[in-house]
Amino acid sequence: MRLTHTATTAALALTLVAPAALAHHSFSAEFDVNKPIKLQGTVKRVQWINPHTWIWIDVKKPDGSVEEWGVEAGTPNTLFRLGFTREALPVGTEIVVDGYEARDGAKRANGRDMTFPDGRKLLMGTSAGNDAGSKDK
Amino acid sequence: MRAAIATLFSFMALVPLFAQGQVANAWRTPWGDPDLQGTWSNQTLTPLERPRQFADRPVLTEAEAAAYEKQLVEAGNVDNRNPGTLQDVNLAYNQVWWDRGSKIVADRRTSLIVDPPDGRIPPLTPAAQTRRDEDRKASDSEKFAASWLDFDVYSRCIIRSALPRLSTGYNNNYEIVQAPGLVAIVQEQMHETRMVPLGDSPHLPSTVRQWLGDSRGHWEGNTLVVETTNFTDEARGSTFQYATKNMKLVERFTRVSDRTIDYQFTVSDPGTWTRPWTAKLPWNRIDGLIYEYACHEGNVGLEHMLSAARAADGNK
Repeated sequence: MRLTHTATTAALALTLVAPAALAHHSFSAEFDVNKPIKLQGTVKRVQWINPHTWIWIDVKKPDGSVEEWGVEAGTPNTLFRLGFTREALPVGTEIVVDGYEARDGAKRANGRDMTFPDGRKLLMGTSAGNDAGSKDK
Repeated sequence: MRAAIATLFSFMALVPLFAQGQVANAWRTPWGDPDLQGTWSNQTLTPLERPRQFADRPVLTEAEAAAYEKQLVEAGNVDNRNPGTLQDVNLAYNQVWWDRGSKIVADRRTSLIVDPPDGRIPPLTPAAQTRRDEDRKASDSEKFAASWLDFDVYSRCIIRSALPRLSTGYNNNYEIVQAPGLVAIVQEQMHETRMVPLGDSPHLPSTVRQWLGDSRGHWEGNTLVVETTNFTDEARGSTFQYATKNMKLVERFTRVSDRTIDYQFTVSDPGTWTRPWTAKLPWNRIDGLIYEYACHEGNVGLEHMLSAARAADGNK
């Protein structure tokens, strides 16, 4: 059977909508859709905690001063199971964050898209995830 | 020749017993109970309800399943950006942090629901429709929450979600530990443990209500049957799919291979659905440990959301 355009659209709707409800909390209640932000800075510390990892970076402003920003990311358990630890992102690493600012005006953002300056994804991973039981199929 | 015939008859006598699952299988605890112990995951891409485009297709062919899986993986890749939309904000962070998997269930069903036969949740009663609408309104108004009480049990780190548990975006991992007369089921997220006493002891009095209800289990052949009642509706999200606290849950765990438990659940609640319904999904063995998920320890998101709500007070 050839999957129709309708089927594709429905599948897209199913999976693209689902994560919003599945993240630990409503990100749009914490971050502002009207305040997209791009940050480039160096990793200062990593809080490897549940329910969300926080990556703190020093961002140098045009006037030379430095601001500390907190970036919210996912649960560490998933990465740990894939073999990553907090040492995978050493202090001093330069990263780029493309996300949304906190609604309360604090210097925090969600790490919607985090990359190295050359565009490589932060923390290499598979796009397919880690399939339990796939050996049986 | 006589010995050969006797052997054949012995084998034939065993066949129906195997079929009924009545014969001791390879997975037994030292005290003789069926052994469900180990670490497991219920991760699957198969949706709970059958998508409309598969209305007449309860099962896909291998080729169709492969194409469908590919589409679901591509569509679910949160690295696909749609900047400036609420959806983009809620997709939260890079794909690497998620763990949805890339497979539908091995028997290639198009829904986890096996009854009703259309693979869809039965119609909600009018009262349940009202609860659903109220919950959606409450969810939409989280941006102006006055208290932590306005958030659901997941955001508050109370429980992952109401029972029964379905596959979600990450941390779909469980551990089962058994002792004589008792089965413990640990879910990694949020490190909750369900204690299931075995035997014929009665449920707690109906006045005692718990986040995970009150479970009682017994063996039917090689199947662990767990009946759970005494749920609570004390907080948002503490009941399953808009059900009332009077929902009854019956779960069936059957070890079918070294790496698979067949898990099936039936929910019934006349105050919510026009009929009971049943879903089936595998628990597949994972190689490794369950890790701590100390949700309260770092749940700064709740503080930040309330702080954002206070900042928004002046803009209502």
